[in-house]
Amino acid sequence: MELQAVYIQFLALFIFAVGIAVVLTRRNVFFVLMGVELALNAVNLSLIGFSKTLPAAMSITGQVVPLFTIAVAAAEACVGFAILILIYTNQESVDVDNYSNMKG
Amino acid sequence: MLPMIYFVLLGLIAAGSAVCVFLSKNPLYGALSLVVTMVSLAGIYGLLASPFVGVVQVMVYAGAIMMLLTFVIMILNAARDVVTPRFDRVSIFVLPAILVLAGLLAFVLISTPLQFHAEAVRGSVALTSATLFDMSKEGPGYFILFEAIGLLLLSAMATAVLLAKKRLGTPERETVSKEVH
Repeated sequence: MELQAVYIQFLALFIFAVGIAVVLTRRNVFFVLMGVELALNAVNLSLIGFSKTLPAAMSITGQVVPLFTIAVAAAEACVGFAILILIYTNQESVDVDNYSNMKG
Repeated sequence: MLPMIYFVLLGLIAAGSAVCVFLSKNPLYGALSLVVTMVSLAGIYGLLASPFVGVVQVMVYAGAIMMLLTFVIMILNAARDVVTPRFDRVSIFVLPAILVLAGLLAFVLISTPLQFHAEAVRGSVALTSATLFDMSKEGPGYFILFEAIGLLLLSAMATAVLLAKKRLGTPERETVSKEVH
């Protein structure tokens, strides 16, 4: 039983679904951010898996694009956690349902 | 045969710790499960012959981003929060929607013919960096994107510093200026 390209896509799909589920159902704001990271990881895995189904010159593109995705995810995490620190010092709560008012 | 065994092992670890993120109550345990997911995904990248992305995954994701996450959890002392429930009642309606979405995507994946291409290149460090910094006129031009990412990271860092400061525009202490005079 050899490793097939579609297995990698199924693993990526599972991790993506779990990440989206974490984002949408959890109430702790840290888990919401972790779910975003999980979904981004799944997309990277999917890109790498699809890049291996392409011939030589095109397959390198699919291995360069995830580097940019990772860098954008780093920037997103940086700003996201700064906003989180700001909200937490104002609200003293990690429940996302308490963040419903945007009054400064 | 051997790649399949490695893939099953790493995939089970990745999927299982992703489920642990979904189910864990303490944010620190969730963060550690996320680190396990990312490290095993890096192993899968190595298995798929793109070791450079795997190394970057370990360095940036499992190293930098998760360090930032655990640091924020610890500095806010948010792990002691026991009031917030894990799920609320809306979750019951969200989960079937996600399942339907995943089922649709799985159906599309099954009906798509996907094969590993025999000529797919190994994304080694030398080849990936040569492609990334190919500055010739006929090249793909990724180095411009690379510069843009550098600017993005710089602006994100400046934004984070400005946001996380207690008060913006805090005046300098007067005693300092008095000592100067």
